[in-house]
Amino acid sequence: MTNITLEDLLVMESNSDRDDVVDLRSLDYVSSYDDHLMCPICHCPFIHPVRLKCDHVFCQKCLVSAITTFAAARDEFTCPTCRTHTGGVYLKLPRLLINMCDEIRVRCPYRNEGCEEVAPRVFIQTHVDKYCGYRLMDCPLGSCGMKTRKKGLDPDGRCLHELRQCTRCEGNIMEQDYGEHFSELCPNLQTTCPDCQTSILRRELKQHANSCPESIHACPASKYGCPIQLKRGDLATHEQTCPLIAMGPYFEAQNARLDSLELTIRHLKQRNEIFEDGLANIRTTLAQSPTAVPVADGRATTSSPTRRSNDPASSNSQSQIDSSNQYTATTTNYLLSLHESLREEVGQLSHAITDLDARASMAIMSECLRIKEDMAHTNAAVSSVRMQVQWLLNPRLHQHQGAQRTGGARTATPAGSSPAAAAGPSTSTIPLRPRRLSDSGREGTKL
Amino acid sequence: MFATKRLSKELIKIKEHLPPGISIVKSDTLEEWLMDIKVLDENPLYLNQTYRLKFTFNNKYPIEVQFIELPTTSDTPRPIPIHPHIYSNGIICLDLLSSAGWSPVQTVESVCMSIQSMLTANSRNERPPGDQDFVSYNRRRPRDINFMYDDDNV
Repeated sequence: MTNITLEDLLVMESNSDRDDVVDLRSLDYVSSYDDHLMCPICHCPFIHPVRLKCDHVFCQKCLVSAITTFAAARDEFTCPTCRTHTGGVYLKLPRLLINMCDEIRVRCPYRNEGCEEVAPRVFIQTHVDKYCGYRLMDCPLGSCGMKTRKKGLDPDGRCLHELRQCTRCEGNIMEQDYGEHFSELCPNLQTTCPDCQTSILRRELKQHANSCPESIHACPASKYGCPIQLKRGDLATHEQTCPLIAMGPYFEAQNARLDSLELTIRHLKQRNEIFEDGLANIRTTLAQSPTAVPVADGRATTSSPTRRSNDPASSNSQSQIDSSNQYTATTTNYLLSLHESLREEVGQLSHAITDLDARASMAIMSECLRIKEDMAHTNAAVSSVRMQVQWLLNPRLHQHQGAQRTGGARTATPAGSSPAAAAGPSTSTIPLRPRRLSDSGREGTKL
Repeated sequence: MFATKRLSKELIKIKEHLPPGISIVKSDTLEEWLMDIKVLDENPLYLNQTYRLKFTFNNKYPIEVQFIELPTTSDTPRPIPIHPHIYSNGIICLDLLSSAGWSPVQTVESVCMSIQSMLTANSRNERPPGDQDFVSYNRRRPRDINFMYDDDNV
């Protein structure tokens, strides 16, 4: 068996030129194949299979792409399946395996162009190269750039992409499609209705189908369950006997009634919700003011008959909600009146408060004035007293200064007590002058 | 082309058959799939829980690893399973989800089964060490993070 290194495999792969070869992986596989014939990387039946030392088989191309993207160094490449370290690749595999892969049937890659060929995979390349008439070829006129099916190529090598006007419908059709258009697709072509066999134009076929007496139609009551489908001509006789058609209007009426009832129910549900909300609100209010209950009960009886007559069709629950509504209404009235009287009282109180405020402020003001006057008197008295005290103090200050001067002259006397001793008797010797109130001005100038 | 072909083949197979406890939730595009997994045994950590896995594929799949996480935000919020190798932002520390450990033979189904068995085998009720730091600082994709795969028991 031939064993080559990974490097050789990569070189081999890069040398092989497969540009114009059918991509076998993108083919549509018709016959089912065994999972063991499937390359674990591309999940297609093996294409040019190669084998690793660990006996795992891959497509050559898949293995090469796995090697080139392998994260670690190349000579540490491990088998993608079992992660065994692998050094070389065997290119030869049992003929049996290759045959099994090759005989799997595939569709022609030009199926979308109309080729219905299904062939073993090994032959599909030959089919595309030689026989497939739907393979797209470049237009013989190089400047055109469009493609043509192989079988549609002009034998003389003309470009078939020029527009040509249809003689029937006056539309512009490409040369290569003209034959098909003229014989099959043109809207102005005569055709026969498949039901009534009359011949009409192709473009009117749809309109005709709506009125053709031979075409099959369902019974008009099919939405109510009539399974019968008849030709339009026979449908009229069926309509006369079909019981479901006879009951049709009744069904309609029932449906309409159901709809209106559902609407009513929805409205009632909404109303109910509103009432329940209101009731809950009132309950909380009543819990806060329990004294209001008896009065509200008394008022509820007076207004209930008029309320109840408004809604004669109401059910039992509805009337309950109604009476509770009256109850809430009277309670609300009572609460409102209570609120009004309280508001009045509050108003009166606020008046009284403003009165009181005014009076109090007046009293405070007059008192203030009186106190101010008193203060002024006291101030005057205090200042006169201050003046007298100053006047009285003045001669003593003079005397003290004089005593200090005499003390300063006798610096030789060391005893500190001598000036005080001198001052002591001097104060006692100075006679207090008689108080003279009018002397204040003179004292000021002296100071 | 390669990736979409391979994914559509996987999708056909998945829709035919899936192992118990694994179900496909969303596969509208061939770029992002959502899978639900359940732990089937009586493990009290994961009892009666369903976890969602998000697969994000690029056009190199299956040659390159795809982006697999437990999404934290989705229409129907699913819990992040408690596990010493699953961060609370939904990133799973599992070697086969990294570039180094990924193998192109892995499929969506096999990855789901691996995570399912990883949960089944766990008995520790804890998050990975440093979970809070990782959750608040990580902005990288899981396949670019250099995890240390030190625990062979799970």
